[in-house]
Amino acid sequence: MTDPVFILLYIVLFPGFIFLFVYSLFLSFLDRKIVARMQNRVGPPFYQPFADLVKMLAKEVIDPDGVDRALFDAIPLVALAAVMTAFLYVPVTGYSPLAFPGDLVVVLYLMLIPTFALFLLGWLSRNIFSTIGGIRAATQMFIYEVPFFLALLAPAIMAGTWSISGIVAWQQHNTWLVFFQPIGFVVALICLQAKLERTPFDIPEAETEIVAGPLTELTGRRLAFIHLTTELSLVVGSALIAALFLGGPMIPWTLSPSWLNEVAGFCVFLVKTLAVLLILSSIKVATGRIRIDQLNDIGWKYIASAALVQVGMVLVINYLWVTL
Amino acid sequence: MSVLSEMIKNLLSRPVTILYPLEQVPIPVTFRGRVAITDEKCIGCSKCSLVCPAQVITMIDGPREVEFKGKNLARKKRPQVKLYQCIRCGLCERHCPTGAIHLEQVHGGTGTDREVVVT
Amino acid sequence: MPEVVIPIGPQHPALKEPVNFRIIADGEKIVRLELELSYTHRGIEKAAEQRNFIRVLPLLERVCGICSHSHATVFAKGIEEIMQLEVPPRAQYIRTIIAELERMHSHLLWLGVAAHEIGFNTLFMWTWRDREAVQDTLEEMSGNRVHYNMNEIGGVRCDLNPAQVNAALSRLPSLEERIKKYVDMVNDEETLLLRFRGVGRMSKEEALKYGAVGPTARASGVDYDVRRDDPYLAYAEVPWNVVTDTEGDVYGRTRVRIGELRESVQIVRYCLENIPAGPIRVDAPKNAPKGEILSRYEAPRGELAHYIRTNGTDKVERVDIRTPTLANWTSVAMCLVNQNIADIPVIVAAIDPCLSCTSRLTVTNRQNRPGVAVVRAAPNGRSLPGSEGEEKL
Repeated sequence: MTDPVFILLYIVLFPGFIFLFVYSLFLSFLDRKIVARMQNRVGPPFYQPFADLVKMLAKEVIDPDGVDRALFDAIPLVALAAVMTAFLYVPVTGYSPLAFPGDLVVVLYLMLIPTFALFLLGWLSRNIFSTIGGIRAATQMFIYEVPFFLALLAPAIMAGTWSISGIVAWQQHNTWLVFFQPIGFVVALICLQAKLERTPFDIPEAETEIVAGPLTELTGRRLAFIHLTTELSLVVGSALIAALFLGGPMIPWTLSPSWLNEVAGFCVFLVKTLAVLLILSSIKVATGRIRIDQLNDIGWKYIASAALVQVGMVLVINYLWVTL
Repeated sequence: MSVLSEMIKNLLSRPVTILYPLEQVPIPVTFRGRVAITDEKCIGCSKCSLVCPAQVITMIDGPREVEFKGKNLARKKRPQVKLYQCIRCGLCERHCPTGAIHLEQVHGGTGTDREVVVT
Repeated sequence: MPEVVIPIGPQHPALKEPVNFRIIADGEKIVRLELELSYTHRGIEKAAEQRNFIRVLPLLERVCGICSHSHATVFAKGIEEIMQLEVPPRAQYIRTIIAELERMHSHLLWLGVAAHEIGFNTLFMWTWRDREAVQDTLEEMSGNRVHYNMNEIGGVRCDLNPAQVNAALSRLPSLEERIKKYVDMVNDEETLLLRFRGVGRMSKEEALKYGAVGPTARASGVDYDVRRDDPYLAYAEVPWNVVTDTEGDVYGRTRVRIGELRESVQIVRYCLENIPAGPIRVDAPKNAPKGEILSRYEAPRGELAHYIRTNGTDKVERVDIRTPTLANWTSVAMCLVNQNIADIPVIVAAIDPCLSCTSRLTVTNRQNRPGVAVVRAAPNGRSLPGSEGEEKL
């Protein structure tokens, strides 16, 4: 499958960038609609995220005094590019044609770049609110990344491969990893909520405390790209969790015309990512924001230790499996 | 987990939002809306003009034969209210002896022309 | 990080009205607070001197939107006492019903705003949805959702007919159930407890020393409520309890306000069921005799005091308004020291600040004590002459 035209179509059209944009706008709408209905409100219409994007692109770009304009323009684009690249390695309709051993690590590092971008933006905007927000973003990153990596390390250990598509293949031959690693699944969900900076972890962008955190001085297309990055991260994050724990876009049977496998896999992918979104939205609705020092407490005491316990359990199970 | 049960219950039921202007909000009878004057009842006593806190009622020329408590009066003046400056407090309605000036159930109306009047 | 100045206000998403906090912070800990008020000074006290007693009540109502009935009632009560008028009991009961409904809507509003300040928007949406029942009741009774204009010197403006009474009574049971749910939520919800517990603690001695009033003081154990200690309207006849708490932090203030919500429902129900028949007003004379009075009232935010001086004409000579929020600002300045930046909106919201009420002219001692508010006078920021060492509220 190394036909360059096919690869190009995969990257740009489906399931690459165009599909990613459309799906992220749809998931963003669904997120807001579910949150609104749980709060007894109506919620926005389906075209709302697209309308927001168009509106923000059309707004004036304002440069605060003394701020480095080239960097301010470049950083949101770099963050956007990183997330879009990360999506290419996540299986959507079957194994990703760009898969290679180690692409799990690549995806995790690429997903880290938007948080760095927030920290840099906070530092470069000459604004006290942005600085505080940037520092909080960096602190939060240190707190949740360790348990997140550990929780995603456990499936890799159990499947014996560092490739996401390899883990999905392992799950097709055995069973979903969530049954072996429920603790890891819960830890991964909580850390994904922290990575996406959604309540209860929306500390860097706490509206009532520090205006908009690192995004305070961003306007126009810069804000549009950062916003788009957040929405794309939601898709990539849920797709990653669905692939690593819930079996990815695979059905247990093989259907007769081989293209039907891909279609069925895609539908399964949609269902699984929607399920992950439902859980994430419910967490967002049910809680309030906690403080950064309280997150420090909870993160290192409970979440990191739960992730360590999970990895320990996986190592034990692997050892027993090999010896038996 | 009271929050969780409430969330799920709300997800499965209709939102409480009234989709104004497609749906109408129920307005009670006592609602203090737009000021209106019934010319046949007004006897021109100027009480409304005197009690208005915002001083938006002026008495203009308006002679008319009005019947009040069985007697025929020759009214000389009648009130004129600046519609968009009225604060809809209801004092004119409360102090009017005949009920000529009153607040309707219709929304008070908003506009930019401060001199629009109701007579 | 070295000491930085974080400007909260005059425009800030956490504030509903303009006030200028300059927070001097060291990392995430607050060292000192400098406070400037009076951005919404409108000159109401002066304007009230030029309106006769019929026209002044709607003006005084508009000092604040949420506690509008409080201002009108406390003024009417004061003038009636100077004139030595005997207000009929039906009018007192109607005034009490509106006052307690106002307290309910104010506390439900506060609960939503406090939840919003910690990012818990769900509770915000739910409490404001339930507040609509109270607003609908008020609209049926008085004609408007805020600024009810029920008061006149000598009684109330309009009567309650049995249909309104029954409609109001029918809304009370579901409100009670919702309030019970909020009690459960406040006791169980983890993030709420994390953000509210231990934040902004104030002991009873500090509350008394810095002059805190209302639920802010009652949460620290100060057992003082104007409705019980200086009874007015119908509060002496209605069975009700003062709600206090011993915690003294934001969590305690939340519990006091929810407790007061429950008490208000009971008071409204008792008044609606036992409202006496009779006239709703007496005729008031046009002029008030010469005199002065300090009229006090328990507004939703605390003790509201109007000092009124009359001189025999049909207008007041001077009305001086001391609102509860003005008394509570010093306690905010004191509670904020050594808390995190993230706690600023929580502690400020915990006193239920109403800045339209607060913007009176104040002249305060400037003292260089760390952690104490430096309250500036007039909106243009200049100190008034003779302000050193002079203290007048």
